[in-house]
Amino acid sequence: MKATMQKSDREKGKKSDASPTPARLFWMLAKINTVTLGGGYVIVPVMAASLEKKGWMDEKEFYDIFARAQAFPGPLALSTALLTSLRLCGFKGAVAAFCGVILPPFLAIILVSGLLSTYGSLPAVVRFLEGAGAVVPGLVAAMIWKTAAKRAWTPVRIIETIVLSALLILLPAFSLPLLLTAIAGLYCIEGLCKR
Amino acid sequence: MQTLEIIWTFFKVGIISFGGGWSTVGIIKNAVVPHWINETDFRALIAIAQSTPGPIALNAATMIGWSHGGFLSAFAGTLAVVAFPVAAIIATTLLARRVKLNSLAINESLRTGSTAMMIMTLWALMPSVADPLIIAFGLGSFAIAAFTKINALWAILGSGIIDAVAGPAIRKLLGI
Repeated sequence: MKATMQKSDREKGKKSDASPTPARLFWMLAKINTVTLGGGYVIVPVMAASLEKKGWMDEKEFYDIFARAQAFPGPLALSTALLTSLRLCGFKGAVAAFCGVILPPFLAIILVSGLLSTYGSLPAVVRFLEGAGAVVPGLVAAMIWKTAAKRAWTPVRIIETIVLSALLILLPAFSLPLLLTAIAGLYCIEGLCKR
Repeated sequence: MQTLEIIWTFFKVGIISFGGGWSTVGIIKNAVVPHWINETDFRALIAIAQSTPGPIALNAATMIGWSHGGFLSAFAGTLAVVAFPVAAIIATTLLARRVKLNSLAINESLRTGSTAMMIMTLWALMPSVADPLIIAFGLGSFAIAAFTKINALWAILGSGIIDAVAGPAIRKLLGI
């Protein structure tokens, strides 16, 4: 019911001459993923604007999908693109989206790796990479800062975060089972707290 | 055989790559340092991943694959890191009507999980050398990324260029 309503809304809205096809989805996503640097949170708004402009999906529907995409593992740019394309073009659309999201970064890294194996040992390049790498902890700290500022903290969540961080730091070899158990456990605790 | 090891390593990373790129970096580091790459090169890899198109986990898989088995490993590693996420999305789409989970509780528990993963990432990437220039780059980029709207890319490129061009001169001036 909801899906059909959204569909008819889309048809009523300003309809561009080009309807979404797998090939068009591929090109749109490939272009966005080539020119947008800086990870999922930068790409997602660009995708939203592009879909809206083409008249394929309004922003509200897109951000509902984005909220769902965050519950999946894997890069946000990929999960959002897959879910969006599944909605627009079914499985063929999802295959096209997969290629559109994966190919540009893959080719870019192959290119950079090729350049680095030729020029990577020059002193200036070594220092450039050292300087660029030094920024990384600062960016992670900034991301924690921003996430923490937006979070609806409760005493339980603060304790959970501290305990889980400590466990992850102390037991790096067990991060996979630890996190899978933790996510399941946290889900149960969130459910209990609501009641 | 290296290629199979790369596939298995990045498949496991893919399973727990929740919450955007930064929370996954610590997990990737645990999986690849020091077996596939050393600590300094890993930092450089992350900086490169952040300044090229595409998700960090994907870039890391391509790059580490490339340096351990060439194109084949790069290709296989890239697919391996997204194998589980893609399977999860397809499975959920197929089962969507049968399983009903509390999405608010899911999102909140993932937020807690990914914040803890980011704290672990920060811990794992703390500079191990007391080089004042390196520490200054870290603090400067924190200030830029946390309190301004400037794209973090400029902090990465800026620090790289400063170190490449003026690094030796600045260190000499500071007397190191």
